[in-house]
Formats: sequence, C-alpha cells, structure tokens
Amino acid sequence: MSALSGTVDTARARPADALAAWARRNAWDLGLVGFLVGLLVFTKLIQPSYGVPGVQGLAISVLPLALAAVAQAIVVLSGGIDLSLGSMMALVNVVAATQMQGQSEEFGVAVVLGALLLGLALGAVNGSLIVLTRVPDIVVTLAMSFVWAGFALLVLPTPGGGSAKWLPELVTGSLGNEWIPKAAVVLIIVVALIWIPVRRSWLGLSLYAIGSNRLAAFRSGVSVGRTRILAYTLMGLFAALGGLSLTASTGIGIPVPGPYTLLSVAAVVLGGVSLAGGRGSVFGPILGVIILQLIRTDMTFLDVDTNLATVLQGLILIGVVMIGSLVQIRASRA
Amino acid sequence: MTQASTRIRLLVGVAAIMVAASACTGAASPSGATTYKIGYSNGGGVGNGFREEQVCTAKAQALVSGQVSGLTTIHRNTDAAGQLSDIRDLISKGVNAIVFNPNDKAALNPALQEAKAAGIKTVSVDAYVTDPNTYNLYNNQVKYAELGAKWLFDQLGGKGTVYYMRGLAGHPADSDRDIGFKNILKDYPNIKVVPNANGVATGWDPPTATKLINDFLASGQYDTIQGIWTSGMDSMVVDAIKAAHKPFVPIVGADLGAFVKQLLDPVGYPGLKGVAVTNTAAVGGAGIALALKLLKGEAVTTDPSASQPNTVLLKPVAVDNLSDNSKAQLKSWQSVPGLDPNWPLGIQIDGWTTYTPAQAIACKGPGG
Repeated sequence: MSALSGTVDTARARPADALAAWARRNAWDLGLVGFLVGLLVFTKLIQPSYGVPGVQGLAISVLPLALAAVAQAIVVLSGGIDLSLGSMMALVNVVAATQMQGQSEEFGVAVVLGALLLGLALGAVNGSLIVLTRVPDIVVTLAMSFVWAGFALLVLPTPGGGSAKWLPELVTGSLGNEWIPKAAVVLIIVVALIWIPVRRSWLGLSLYAIGSNRLAAFRSGVSVGRTRILAYTLMGLFAALGGLSLTASTGIGIPVPGPYTLLSVAAVVLGGVSLAGGRGSVFGPILGVIILQLIRTDMTFLDVDTNLATVLQGLILIGVVMIGSLVQIRASRA
Repeated sequence: MTQASTRIRLLVGVAAIMVAASACTGAASPSGATTYKIGYSNGGGVGNGFREEQVCTAKAQALVSGQVSGLTTIHRNTDAAGQLSDIRDLISKGVNAIVFNPNDKAALNPALQEAKAAGIKTVSVDAYVTDPNTYNLYNNQVKYAELGAKWLFDQLGGKGTVYYMRGLAGHPADSDRDIGFKNILKDYPNIKVVPNANGVATGWDPPTATKLINDFLASGQYDTIQGIWTSGMDSMVVDAIKAAHKPFVPIVGADLGAFVKQLLDPVGYPGLKGVAVTNTAAVGGAGIALALKLLKGEAVTTDPSASQPNTVLLKPVAVDNLSDNSKAQLKSWQSVPGLDPNWPLGIQIDGWTTYTPAQAIACKGPGG
C-alpha cells in the first residue's frame, strides 16, 4: 500500500524515480530480457553465422509455445491451472485442418473464426465444470485432457487435413525488414489486442484479485465464480490460437497432443508468475518460452547430446528461478 | 558489498562459459575442403531399438566415410512442429546436408524448402516426405506388411480372427504398412480383423504395446483370436502371452533380436510359430551415404515404382521358424555378437553401408 502511494507521488515529482519504481515492479521481466539478450549474444558467439534465418526459425517455433504460455498464465494468475491445454490445442488444430482441407481461402477465414469460438467454448466448459462441481481444477482439467484428446482422435484418427494458403503465409517470412519475423508480429498483435484491454478492464482487476486472495475479492464484491469461468474461457481462446498456429506451421492437423501443457507450466514458472496466483504478467512467460527454445537451439549448436540437453534444460529452468527468487528476496530486504 | 561480489562472481562464470563454448566451436571446424557437416534429426521412438540402431548406424557411417567433419544428432520424442524447429536449428547451424526420420510426410515441407534455399541437401530415411527436392530412402513398407500378412492368413487357412497391432499413427511407414495389410486382406474374405479394421496403434512404444496386449489378454479377447500381426512390437507380445500361460497363436514380427531368439527357442516358447520380416534400421547409415553421394554430385539410381520421385526403395524378406532351412537362415542373422536384443538384426545394407557391426554397436560419430 505504502509503495503504491509512494509511486504515485514521485511519478509527478521526479521522472527518474518513477522509472526506477517501474523497473522495480517489472524486475523479473527485465531480468528475463537481460538473460535473453545475454543468451542471444552467447548464441552469436558460438554460432557466428546465426542471423535472419535463425531468428525467423526461433519466432515460428516459439509461436505455439508462447500462445500456450499466455493461455496457462491467465488461469494461473486467477489462481487456477489447466492441464488440458495441450489436448485443447490438438482438438482445435485437427478441427481447423479437417474443415479447411479442399475449401476456398475465404472459407478458411470462417473456419478460423469458428475455431476461436470453439476454443472459447472448450475453456468455458472447463471453467464451468470447476466452478459448478467444486472439484479441484487439477482433477477436472486432467480428466478433460483425456476428453479433448479423445475428441481430437475422433475428428481425425491419423495426421492429415489441410490448411488455407493464407494461414501459413501469415506466420512465415518477414514483414518489411527481414529481421522482423511475421510470427513475432502476429504474437505481439494478438496478445496486445486481447490481453491488454482485458488487463485494463474490471475483468483483469477481478482476475488478479481472485488470484491473490479469493475471500478478500469476494468481500469486495467480485463475483468469484463468474471471473474464474471467464479466466478459463479466455484461456480457451489462447489455446485455440495456439492450435491454429500449429495448423499454420505444419499445414496439417495432428490429433496426438504435443508437449504443450507441461512446457506452458514451465514457461509460467520461468516467467515469474506465482503458481499461487495473483502475481506476474503474461509477458514474462512469453520471454520464458523464447529462452527455453533458444537454449535448445544452443544445445544443437554446441553438439550437446540430446538426452543430456533435456537434463540441462531442466537444470537451467530450476537455476534461473532459484537465482531470480534469491535476487528478489535480497532486493526486498534492502 | 556482498551484491557487488556476487555480480563479479556471476560475470566470471558467464565469461568462463563463453570461453569454453568458443573453444568447442574451434574444435568442430572442418579440417579440409572435402569434409562435410551433416545434421541428423529423429523425432520419435527414443529408446525403441529400431530408432536407436538407426541413429547409431548413421554415426558409424559418418565416421567410416572419412568425409564428415561433424554429425549433429537431434534424437528426441517430439511432434511435427518440434521436428520443424529441430530442422530449422540444423539449417541455422550451417550443415551441408540433413538426414531425418520424418514425423509426418507433409508437415516438414516448409523447413525442407528453407533447407533447399540455403543450399542444403535433404534425405528422408525410413519413410518418405512429399517435398519434391528431398531424397527418400526406406524399406518398401507396403511390401513389408504384405509379406507378413500373407504368411499369417495362409497359416490360418484363410479363415479366422487376427489382432492387428500397428505402429505410430500418421507415420508414413505405418500408413504404407496399412495399405499393404489391406491389400492382402482383400484376397481373404474369411479373415476378420479386431478390434476394428484400422487396428490399434502401439506408437512403436514398447510399454504401450505391452499394456495393449496385457489388456487384450486380461479381457479374454485373446481367447477368441487365431493370429496376431504386429508392426515390430513383437517380443513383448510373445512374452505377455507366455506370462499369461496362454497357448501361442501364429504371430508376425520384425527381424528384431529378441523376437528371432524367441522363434528359435522351442523350449522357452513351446509351440510358438512366427515370421520375422526384415526392416533394417541401417537406413540411418545408408541415409548418410546417400547424402554424401548427393553432396559430391554422384548419380543415384532411384526406383520409379515408388509413390514419390527421388526414392530409393529397399526390399524386405520374410523368414519363418517352420522349416529347418528357414530356421538356419534366422540363425545366420544372429551372428553379430554384442548386438542389443531390441535392435533389428539387419545391421548393414549392401551397397550403402561400409562400417563394421562393431562400429555400429559402438555408436560413435565423428568428432566425439
């Protein structure tokens, strides 16, 4: 409370202090940006030819992971978790790929809109089940992960289907400058268009409120059940975007869920979102997935054995979170 | 004070890592003009004997060729999107050729086109891809399934129920085998397939196959069938039947060490009748040899009967344990000492691979 009022006062008086306060509030994200920049420099050092194709490849590889991370971050911020995220992405992916196959480009637009609605519906089902049945979110979403994965296999038993041509073109290549990959632009636009307005509305405030203290939020007049359902619905929308990005990058539908659920949880943790809810942003997890992907690329450049690379990736994840927490504890003591 | 010293320690650590890393790249640089850097991507089946042998033969062939200065192997379980990212990493690494076992026949095409644009030769092994510039080298999987299915249906006298245990859903080899299986099934109207015409997917994953057959045995369904067709997940099925104290039904498997050993062991597995269809995993090594030929601009003879252009098809053979002659042939396959029992026995491909069996088993590539 005192920190907040102090920030407001000094913001009028001294812009330098306001900047420092902003930096303190976003210390974790800034730390991640610093780590990412260091990692990019390191990448360039070990692979001097790393350049435009590398950055393009990074952006397109990161896109489904980043959308999954944003989806997971939203429910975690509201104090929940969703273990059916990967299955949802697979279901949306196969529905889009089967509906778009052999259809016109214009019909593809309708399919994409339909797929987004499907994602909203899947998320709303998860949220409603959790709120109405009062069964813990981990149990409900774990069960639903089998339901959605099963539906995905019913829709498309083996990989196949197709995609409208404009969808892959939307995320491959660059926009204007060759250093600006379309996939990154799409990610920024999508997150900015959906998340920023939500964050600034009553929904965003309620979402953080129920995440940090459900009882206090309830006593302040926040409708906890409705907000939780909306958080899962919003997650469903981002899961659908993630599923569509899979259709866009592979051009087909794949019914078996990829490793997105667990990677999204890892990215959320690395991104500085408290698993207890209420603290963090969706930007940290996006930085988190870029870092995780770039570490994997570096392992390839360094010819590290793939099995060992997986071990190292896990250790780096723990290490970064531990160091980050230590720095935060020291900063709060100072 | 403490913060400053922590920072210094961190900086020293980072610097040390960077120095170590740059030393690594120095060692990996090509020593002569005639050597190439090759990337290898395997996107699934980690721990499966076929995939492990395939990767090891690739390493061995790269080593003995003397023309490969570095072989970067990415061998992990992932989806098609993950393999796309692995191939792109190999492109960024600046390799001269990429040999890969595809997770899907069409999904990797965007990255393969990028490889072509970067002047990188691409070779798909074990299955084909639809990218027109990629060379495909694989076992004729349609024929593979046809040989085993025909043997099995003939064993049953053209009448009975068969449990159809397939591989990895969506893998081109699995799709081709399904075509072959159904080609033969058409000629046998009195053969019934369970659990349904499309079979069950083992994912070529030993634990999954074991779970499937155990469920099948426990539910009593096993007592209603007369034969089993497997897509190479064979020895665990035989062991599960033995553990359940059920009589064996004729079974189709691959030329995997453990299965061939079971076929030749009438004491341990009394009454076991089976056929082993060859599906050499040395496609990994042959793929490296093919990539080197392409890099040197040598001519490659392709098979016009394949579904894709630029395809080299390898022919499978089927050998059962029913006659002395065929048993002697199975025995001759077992001649490699030290071979992992889960590896396919066909460790070489004539005209393509030049390593010794010991080199394949050692699983050592160039530069490490």
